[in-house]
Amino acid sequence: MDFALTEEQRIILEAVKDFARNEVAPFAAQSDQDHALAPSILPQLKELGFLGSYLPQEYGGAGMDFFSYCLLVEELSKACASTGVLVSAHTSLAGDPLARAATKAQKKQYLSLLTQGEKIGCFLLTEPGAGSDAGSIQTRYMDQGDHYEVSGNKIFVTNGGYLGLGILFATQDSKLGHEGISAFILDLRSEGVTLLKNEEKMGIRASYTSAFALEKVKIPKENLLGKEGKGFHLALETLNGGRIGIAAQALGIGQAAFELARDYALERKQFGKALSRFQAIQFKLADMALGLESARLLTYKAAWLKDQKKDYSLASAMAKVKASEVANACAKEALQIFGGYGFTTDYPLERLYRDAKITEIYEGTSEIQRIVMAKEILNPT
Amino acid sequence: MKILVCVKQVPDMESRFQVQAGGTAIEEADLAFRVNEYDEFAIEEAVRLKEKLGEGSELTVLSLGPQRVAEAIKKALAMGCDQGIHILDTASRDPYQVASLIYQAVKDQDFEVIFTGMQSQDLGYAQTGLLLAELLGIEAVTTVVSFCQEGDGFLVQRELEGGQRMNLKLQAPALFTCQLGLNQPRYPTLPNIMKAKKKKITQLEAASLAPPAARSQTTSLRPPAKKGQAKFLEGDLGAMADQLVAELKAKSLI
Repeated sequence: MDFALTEEQRIILEAVKDFARNEVAPFAAQSDQDHALAPSILPQLKELGFLGSYLPQEYGGAGMDFFSYCLLVEELSKACASTGVLVSAHTSLAGDPLARAATKAQKKQYLSLLTQGEKIGCFLLTEPGAGSDAGSIQTRYMDQGDHYEVSGNKIFVTNGGYLGLGILFATQDSKLGHEGISAFILDLRSEGVTLLKNEEKMGIRASYTSAFALEKVKIPKENLLGKEGKGFHLALETLNGGRIGIAAQALGIGQAAFELARDYALERKQFGKALSRFQAIQFKLADMALGLESARLLTYKAAWLKDQKKDYSLASAMAKVKASEVANACAKEALQIFGGYGFTTDYPLERLYRDAKITEIYEGTSEIQRIVMAKEILNPT
Repeated sequence: MKILVCVKQVPDMESRFQVQAGGTAIEEADLAFRVNEYDEFAIEEAVRLKEKLGEGSELTVLSLGPQRVAEAIKKALAMGCDQGIHILDTASRDPYQVASLIYQAVKDQDFEVIFTGMQSQDLGYAQTGLLLAELLGIEAVTTVVSFCQEGDGFLVQRELEGGQRMNLKLQAPALFTCQLGLNQPRYPTLPNIMKAKKKKITQLEAASLAPPAARSQTTSLRPPAKKGQAKFLEGDLGAMADQLVAELKAKSLI
């Protein structure tokens, strides 16, 4: 049993922390205001290999462990949650399923584009009528002999606005249920793909959340990802891993809120003494630290299980619920400690408060996570 | 061209420092360590020189200290150094001993350029580089803020007091101690961190390098005594400005 980071993980963490603090954090408020990341961010993520982190070296990734990837997402998110989710969705929702299910030829052609940041990855599963109930998607594909033809609507596509590379889920016939769903590799600049809009959101405003219309989009036969009819399974597996990344993102947001509140409590004086000397504030800070530590242990354990190639479905669901709830609690209490100042846009608390919320919703709501957990608990294998 | 960069691993300056019982050293147990900031300028400049020279140049990074120092060496390897030398040493050394150990390790390797930091962030002696150059019998230039290689010589700029600069031209072999402002050190990329694992690090035991006796000793170490208190000015801006001027004049600071 060892709770210490390895030498390599420490080197990665230091590099990522330095980068996040110096190059990402200073732009976070402006990016939020602009609804777009500062133009300097993406080229640097690409340059530093942050878009290929744990993906295989053979296809241009850095080949580091998944655990280090979680450190990466956590630190980026601590500086700017929109940057964190860009990396998280790109890597674990697009790169990961390619690394697991793609053929060698597909990896060579597409995974390399993702690891090098030539294309930004996204995941096209959700539809207006299919959110948590992802098995009910209506986007149809038809086998046209030499290609597939796909029509339908996709919404809430993180990173969609970059018009990069998507993992698209469509059904042959919605009557077939889960068995009818297949996954495809889709270039979002293909004919028939229309970007309808990038959503205006409450939080993570500098990240794209996009809606697409697909109209008779021609997808080459060789872009079928995995076996036909196995798409739903691939989607669930992908989300299982992806939610560890979201847990890491939530940890980063929560940690940022906690540190700001702690420093402010030590500095701010009312009634002749520092806020940190009032027990009401001490208890808030203690609870925040306790929550973060629990969430961190769950998240790191889930990441460790994934690295060990052990089953992590239960661990990742637990990590995501805990970390996202802790992030929201930390943001709320930290804002409270800042009082009126926290409510103004002069301080980052209101942004953290808004950014935290989505972590309880995307890549499986907290309610869905509890269903996943219950299934695992009640059906021991 | 054979290039050497010497780096020191120092406590992260954001750590909470406590003096050990005995009062001559800092408690290490709870400290996080990282590469001395000035040495990062040295690494960056060395890597740039290597990249400029291309094929045929070779860049070695050297550090001295206990096992944990391997991390600093690996960071330098991830930033672009080709190979490492780790002088394994757990003793507390003065600058002369450190320079002597490095000298013993590198004296037969004919390095033509050596970069070091101007000083360490923790002890700040600013001596190790200079002593090493002296032992090797080569030229040394301190507080370098601009560096350019031309043929087998170098054009460098030093920072002097009061913001003045001094230009120098000299021939290899030479040692340069690097100052803030020389460059912006790169972040190691993730692929390079992974590749650094495969680079060779030669380990040498300090004891095998005949360390000389120390020439100076730390007799005591303590945090500075708290004296005086900050004074907070109050009132509107104009009144505060007047108070500030009066205070500064009273203290003969202006």
